[in-house]
Amino acid sequence: MMSDDYAKAIPVPGPESVPFWEGAKNHRLMIQNCNTCGHHWFPPSTVCTGCGSRDIEWVASSGKGKVFSFVVFHRLYHKGWEGEVPYVVGIIELEEGARMLSNVIDIPVGDVICDMSVEVVFEDATDELTLPKFKPV
Amino acid sequence: MIEPSTHLRDKYALVGAGHSRLGKVPGVSAQGLLEEAMLNALVDAGLTTQEVDGLICRGPDEIYTFHQVMGERLGIDASFSTTLTNGGASQVMGVALAAMAIDAGMASCVLVGYGRDNWSRVHANKENHMRGSGRPQQMYGMEFGPEFGYYGAIAAHGFGAQRHMHDYGTTREQFGEISLAFRKYALNNPDAVMKKPLTMEDYLAGRMIVEPFGLFDCSLQTDGAGAVVVTSTERAKDLRQKPVLVKGFGTGNNISGWFNDDNMTHTGAIQAGKTAYAMAGVSPSDIDYAQIYDCFTYMVLVQLEDYGFCQKGEGGAFVASGALDLNGVMPTNTSGGQLSEAHVEGMLQVVEGVRQLQGIYGPERQVPNAEIGLVSGHGGNTVCESTLILGTA
Repeated sequence: MMSDDYAKAIPVPGPESVPFWEGAKNHRLMIQNCNTCGHHWFPPSTVCTGCGSRDIEWVASSGKGKVFSFVVFHRLYHKGWEGEVPYVVGIIELEEGARMLSNVIDIPVGDVICDMSVEVVFEDATDELTLPKFKPV
Repeated sequence: MIEPSTHLRDKYALVGAGHSRLGKVPGVSAQGLLEEAMLNALVDAGLTTQEVDGLICRGPDEIYTFHQVMGERLGIDASFSTTLTNGGASQVMGVALAAMAIDAGMASCVLVGYGRDNWSRVHANKENHMRGSGRPQQMYGMEFGPEFGYYGAIAAHGFGAQRHMHDYGTTREQFGEISLAFRKYALNNPDAVMKKPLTMEDYLAGRMIVEPFGLFDCSLQTDGAGAVVVTSTERAKDLRQKPVLVKGFGTGNNISGWFNDDNMTHTGAIQAGKTAYAMAGVSPSDIDYAQIYDCFTYMVLVQLEDYGFCQKGEGGAFVASGALDLNGVMPTNTSGGQLSEAHVEGMLQVVEGVRQLQGIYGPERQVPNAEIGLVSGHGGNTVCESTLILGTA
């Protein structure tokens, strides 16, 4: 799909998050890893959020994790979601430890619970944008 | 581990409090509403703008150096002035900063206030109305949120509520008890926006907004402003009102993030409260009433736990016990709070905290024999907390 036809919000990456979005396009879930202490985190920064080290790198996550918490949007906040409410927004805790916000999909809305196991699926939204989402394992 | 300076205890006082018209106030800017509240606070204190030499305020967050806008409009040159940007934690923090500024010799009489024209902005156009916000979307970040349909403070706080329900078995009915308790207070407050009684049936029938929050879990969209005057307890002796002493204050800011660790169920109120209690030399059992920042019902429940009024995880049973009522163990949000009076980002909590100790109300609203009260502010990106402990002289 061309982005002109895409009705939902298109993310505007900051300079530090380009590797995440480029990775998503290649269906890899990129997070940051600290070579000093082994901590993984998200969203991106230029220092380790565990120990402050600058010896950090981008790595691919296994994409497996669990739903730390979630909410169900019943009210429409953006016209791009028309016809899709109710939908689930979750905080996913990846098995590496980093947490990220995404949608929990492929499950009836009422069946989502905290701590349920999920794995990443890549949704190619437009030619330029792929969104990592999560479905039950 | 920090040790707050106890030398500030009781040295500074709130000598006046005021608010503007609340609710739907079309045709007035946030600045105009704040002027209204600030002048009311000065009248309450028996002071004029000419005696003010400190101005700490906040308004719509996209207005650059808001305190300068207000200084110009009020004709005040200030030796100390700034705009705070800590969201709903700013207003309580403003009082703490005023005491610190006076103590440092930077000012002697400080006006602290916050004004918003949120109802007017949200109803100004279709786009704002759909987003339920009067702020420009750019202020919320342009990635890691909107592309997943994640909008608004309600969802952020909803994550915390959901996790609390999961970890401790908290229920929606228990959240509802908070809405019901505050509505009862609002019915005794002629300035409160909400005028009708609320039953548990009404609460549960309220339409879902962002689950687990329904309509009655959410604070109001209102125009309005509040302000207080801070000066030394020494100077307060000659002023119009019985002074309300700043016994202690504290801040806690889990700015590593709401999603980090267990921050959404163990909030900045733990640190902020600990600091404020230590400065004031009191403990939770000394507190006669609380004015708690209530953007959403859950935030009241978790803050009551974090301030030590009940054990962690027992907030649900605590609020269901009638604890928040005027004759309960912790009368809370005695003006109706942001859920039922008006949402002025915690500034009205400060105003009500002061008035309870001025002892101005009749028996339907006055906490009997109130000597010490706690006021909380919560906000920023859901992770900032400020606490004020007030007392009678």
